[in-house]
Amino acid sequence: MRIKVLGIGLTKFGELWNKDLLDLALEASSEAINDSRLTINEIDAVFVANMIYGKLSNQDQLGALVASNLGIKGASFKVEAACASGGLAIHLAIQSLLAGTYKNVLVVGVEKMTDHTITEITSALMGAGSQDERKAGLTFPGLYALMAKAHMDKFGTTKKHLASVSVKNHFHASLNEKAQFPFEITLDKAMNSPEICAPFTLFDASPITDGASAVVLSLEDRSLPSGRQVYISGSAVASDTVGLCQRDSLIEIAATKRAAQMAFKQAGVEHQDIKIAEVHDCFTIAEILAMEDLGFCKKGEGGEFIAKGATRLGGLLPVNTSGGLKACGHPVAATGVKQIVEVTQQLRGHSSNRQVSGANVGLTQNVGGTGATVVIHVLQT
Amino acid sequence: MNSPVQIWRQHKTLHNYLGKRGKLLVWTKILVPPLGFEQQAPYLVGIVKFNDGEKLPVQIVDCNESELKPNQKIEAVIRKIGKAKSEDVIEYGIKVKPI
Repeated sequence: MRIKVLGIGLTKFGELWNKDLLDLALEASSEAINDSRLTINEIDAVFVANMIYGKLSNQDQLGALVASNLGIKGASFKVEAACASGGLAIHLAIQSLLAGTYKNVLVVGVEKMTDHTITEITSALMGAGSQDERKAGLTFPGLYALMAKAHMDKFGTTKKHLASVSVKNHFHASLNEKAQFPFEITLDKAMNSPEICAPFTLFDASPITDGASAVVLSLEDRSLPSGRQVYISGSAVASDTVGLCQRDSLIEIAATKRAAQMAFKQAGVEHQDIKIAEVHDCFTIAEILAMEDLGFCKKGEGGEFIAKGATRLGGLLPVNTSGGLKACGHPVAATGVKQIVEVTQQLRGHSSNRQVSGANVGLTQNVGGTGATVVIHVLQT
Repeated sequence: MNSPVQIWRQHKTLHNYLGKRGKLLVWTKILVPPLGFEQQAPYLVGIVKFNDGEKLPVQIVDCNESELKPNQKIEAVIRKIGKAKSEDVIEYGIKVKPI
């Protein structure tokens, strides 16, 4: 598979009071289309990833809404798979290209979250959980806290390990002007911030964020200029139970393993080939699980692997150079597309002061819910 | 939001859980609740494994967190779930208490 990433676009992530969902989607889309050097008329289809706008703001048909406002009259789709909506939209767009239905497609992930209260957002996000979880009054911080406690009980993972994920991602975000929280924090601050759901403190959780991200993908046989030759060579999705407790294990996301295995095989790469990764750190434990389940360290050793600096810029495998969901922000359906944008920038060599030297193969991991949907992409130069 | 008919349908199987026993696998405390649970917060939630092998996410009631221990033995009880919705139908569900 060699899907060309022709263009990328990204809004600032954060509390963007003066912008509505459509403003954000159009800003990122226009930037991606301009970057692709295609015209609007050359875009055959639009895939819009979104999770909660219809539920909270009573606007559906987002595919047509975004496409028509861009002046695109071709096919349009809305894709939803909770926080994996963006990654899944990329995957579906790729399938449409491989099927030969379209030649050039736009994928935009967008979410407008800060217009609503934390309680409203918490409830809307729980649409990605099971009915039993909603009846128990569980929340996503609660579900991931249960996974963290199980991991701590079994492997001795500590709160310091969790906090080290946050400290590292804030450092990376401090180098990213698009990040919601572009500043560093100390280990002490992360560990001693208010508790939100034991064992998590405030700095273990990704924030509520507005933002949009977009990419233009193509199968067309047109050559790309030097320095802009980035391809998606692997794209795989795996599913699991929506309810956490129906799974065999609380200390892994099994769908990550299955999707990664398929994506690595498609791309023809091994773990040691990956030079950069953007993974789904919705909570700090999620990045620890990702490192283990993707096979970059042994099960149970993810906390120490990250705490020792292996995934920091300059380390063995820089992870979440954007700042991740924790510090760049997590406009849920935009995240999976933003991960592709970040890795593409890195592979183009355009990441300025957070550039990973020699980055030529990258990976993204986008998770829906507690692991009911996982999308893995491999990108190469 | 569940409709009265959905609540009625779900209530039909609740009695199967009455008195079921098992153990608490893992738990946490919810400080920021979803809609309908505001008045209960903070509250304890966990995953239990009943003696017949079924696992379920549940609220833990009738105890303080300091009383809980790993593999705590529990028993299922039927309790009100959240706040009654606009239809005024009171929704019941399964919670557990330590034994």
